[in-house]
Amino acid sequence: MVKEYNIVITGVGGQGILTAANLLGWAALHAGYKVRVGEVHGMSQRFGSVIAYVRFGEDVYGAMVPEGKADVILAFEPVEALRYINYLKEGGLVIANSNPIPPVQVSMGLATYPGMEEIKKIIEEDFKGKLITLDAEKLALEAGNVITTNVVLIGALTQTPGFPLSAEHVKEVIRLSVPKKAVDVNMKAFELGVKAAKELLGL
Amino acid sequence: MAKVTDIVLWDKPGERVLLLGNHAIARGALEANIAVFAAYPGTPSSELTDTMAAVAEKAGVYMEYSANEKVAFETALSAAWSGLRAMTAMKHVGLNVAADTFLSAVGMGVEGGFVIMVADDPSMWSSQNEQDTRVYAKFANVPVLEPSSPHEAKEMTKYAFELSEKFKHFVILRTTTRISHARGDVVLGELPEEIKQAKRKFGDFKKDPSRFVDVPSNARRFHPQILEKIEKIREELAECPFNWIEGKEDAKVGIIAPGLAYSYVKEALAWLGIDDVKILKLGTPFPVPYRLLEKFFDGLERVLIVEELEPVVEEQVKVWAFDNGIRIPIHGKDCIPRVYEMTTRRAVTAIAKFLGLETPVNFEGIDEKYKKVSAIVPPRPPSLCPACPHRNTFYAIKKAAGSRAIFPSDIGCYTLGLLPPLKTVDTTIAMGASIGVAHGLDVALNGVPGEKETKEKKKIIVATIGDSTFFHTGLPALANAIYNRSNVVIVVMDNLVTAMTGDQPNPGTGETPHGPGKQIKIEEVAKAMGADFVAVVDPYDIKATYEVMKKALQVEGVSVIVSRQVCALHRISQMRRKGEKWPIYTVNEEKCTGCKICINAYGCPAIYWDAEKKKAQVNPLICWGCGGCAQVCPFGAFEVMKEGE
Repeated sequence: MVKEYNIVITGVGGQGILTAANLLGWAALHAGYKVRVGEVHGMSQRFGSVIAYVRFGEDVYGAMVPEGKADVILAFEPVEALRYINYLKEGGLVIANSNPIPPVQVSMGLATYPGMEEIKKIIEEDFKGKLITLDAEKLALEAGNVITTNVVLIGALTQTPGFPLSAEHVKEVIRLSVPKKAVDVNMKAFELGVKAAKELLGL
Repeated sequence: MAKVTDIVLWDKPGERVLLLGNHAIARGALEANIAVFAAYPGTPSSELTDTMAAVAEKAGVYMEYSANEKVAFETALSAAWSGLRAMTAMKHVGLNVAADTFLSAVGMGVEGGFVIMVADDPSMWSSQNEQDTRVYAKFANVPVLEPSSPHEAKEMTKYAFELSEKFKHFVILRTTTRISHARGDVVLGELPEEIKQAKRKFGDFKKDPSRFVDVPSNARRFHPQILEKIEKIREELAECPFNWIEGKEDAKVGIIAPGLAYSYVKEALAWLGIDDVKILKLGTPFPVPYRLLEKFFDGLERVLIVEELEPVVEEQVKVWAFDNGIRIPIHGKDCIPRVYEMTTRRAVTAIAKFLGLETPVNFEGIDEKYKKVSAIVPPRPPSLCPACPHRNTFYAIKKAAGSRAIFPSDIGCYTLGLLPPLKTVDTTIAMGASIGVAHGLDVALNGVPGEKETKEKKKIIVATIGDSTFFHTGLPALANAIYNRSNVVIVVMDNLVTAMTGDQPNPGTGETPHGPGKQIKIEEVAKAMGADFVAVVDPYDIKATYEVMKKALQVEGVSVIVSRQVCALHRISQMRRKGEKWPIYTVNEEKCTGCKICINAYGCPAIYWDAEKKKAQVNPLICWGCGGCAQVCPFGAFEVMKEGE
């Protein structure tokens, strides 16, 4: 049994981040771990930048992952991976959806959106992490519904080297959690995420 | 992952489930056989309230969404006076609204257990200030319980009812965002038969004017009684199951960890690999039980108090130590910041420094590297949703009143109208304050009819307030403005739901957890109060909204415009559930001239700028189809996407 495993999930309010965190929390609970999931509700959910934490293991206490302690960051949007990169431990993995959602300030010309190369460079060179990106919306559409984007990303997450929960176990929790008519599309989305991450990680 | 509203009623003692702190408290209240629950929603307390609403009928509990926290407090208090177990819940600033009743009724005590759940928001994730409810507890001489985990929150809720009944006194259950909005493994306990059978419990109010009438002769008797009670409770709390001493018994160094700080201290010590310290885990930051302090301080040479926000525990400990001739160093706020929330980083940094150790991670090094990130990451503050009717209302107000008008606003999603490009929010303080401030500014800048002298060229003042906020505390302010002959426009942004806290009903919607209530129409209230101009508009028609605004600005006196359109998030969630579709807009690139009005004046998050093409674009994944962009664009470039595009 792992002592403590730390996942940070980031993205834009409305992308299904809290649902993903809750699903992972239940998967860890069913695997017998102590669990903490940290979220922020209210105003921050309105299309703002969002961070959620999932922690599990034999010994977990607070709901927030401290800076420098995340084993993996799952980012639903590329710049949101960079925004919370200070949470990643050295040698940690960042799995990011490659679809940018430009903030209103960028459209107004008040700020600029950094390039993917620049994001990758900071993550890998400055923060000693590894970045993989996948077009999760495209895979979700391929599975049958764009709403399964978060399940694609969860599928990818389970391929993180050293991830303590098996992909089959997480998949089963999702199967039991989604409405019956949505099971097939979610299972397909999960598998597409797994496959994409395997290729990207050379597994 | 079953539905939370099912889980909290599961008759499965011993089952391990994953619950939000707020859900765990709801379960605790049910396990404690609660009879009456009343609250006004407020982040981060709302999920407790909503869970109680969802299970009320199934558990035989009376639950109401009260018009504000003071009324909620009185509903629940009266039930407790009548011998029933009752609870109210609110965010920290809600206690300010309820404070009048709270502080005056303390001396009267209760018959049934009375628990006041207050959720604080350190770091102000969704709040206007960072007040610490434990200070209120001390002020009112009411005990406050503070959990260190969601499971403990559930257990403490049950204990809170028992403590309240034993001493016939109020009890505060204080959480913070990181308990209320943290999920944790919770073990379910037994549900009482009455809850399982949904049996409604009724009380009995025994008249006793010497107790329930707060005339000075009674109140003078109450004050010493309250002080006597709190000292008895302090004594009792030495045996409280949520207070304990752990760690190395003969350690020279001690750490006091109240509430959730205990979790951070545990993680910090494990991370540092330290075990030769003694810990005082405090679930009752007020009153601190002196008997436990005596035991804890025995043999210690140095003490660190790891406490979030105000030095509530620290002050009690230091006074006690001084009075008892203890002169060892006691550290607290000199090591832990008084502002913003506690984190593991703060705890580990303070403890490492206290013990002369290195932190396990070089946090300053991370901060240094992060400077590069801060410099290039574009800000992404929350924004009004796509299709949010408030955006259209603000757009019309600004167009009609001009950007030199003054725009007092209020507490709700619409506070986001402060951000560019709308920038139609000039003041926000507290619930209902928009109307009071609008009137006050009219007095200060223009003068009112009847005065010897008034300004000739008057400043335009347009206040905005939400439907729920209007009923919460807008009503007395509106009466005041009308009575005192203000000349202001008040726009009630009625999205037919209490949106920001999660779609709760309110007097304007007329629904209750027990079926239909009575719906109160805002325009009827305004007319009955004597407003000089009253109109209802649909903000999805921007031109019509603009014209009504123009008309209102010509009126001398108080104008009330009800801008009514259902919350877009609420509408879309319902449509998604039913599998319904909505129109999605797209940009006709031949018509788009790149003028950017849609971005620089309207600012829907679904519209973005394609810098290469120099055209606006719509993100079809987040367009919710209000068509506001099509009304705002002078060139007709926004069109509904055809099926299959």
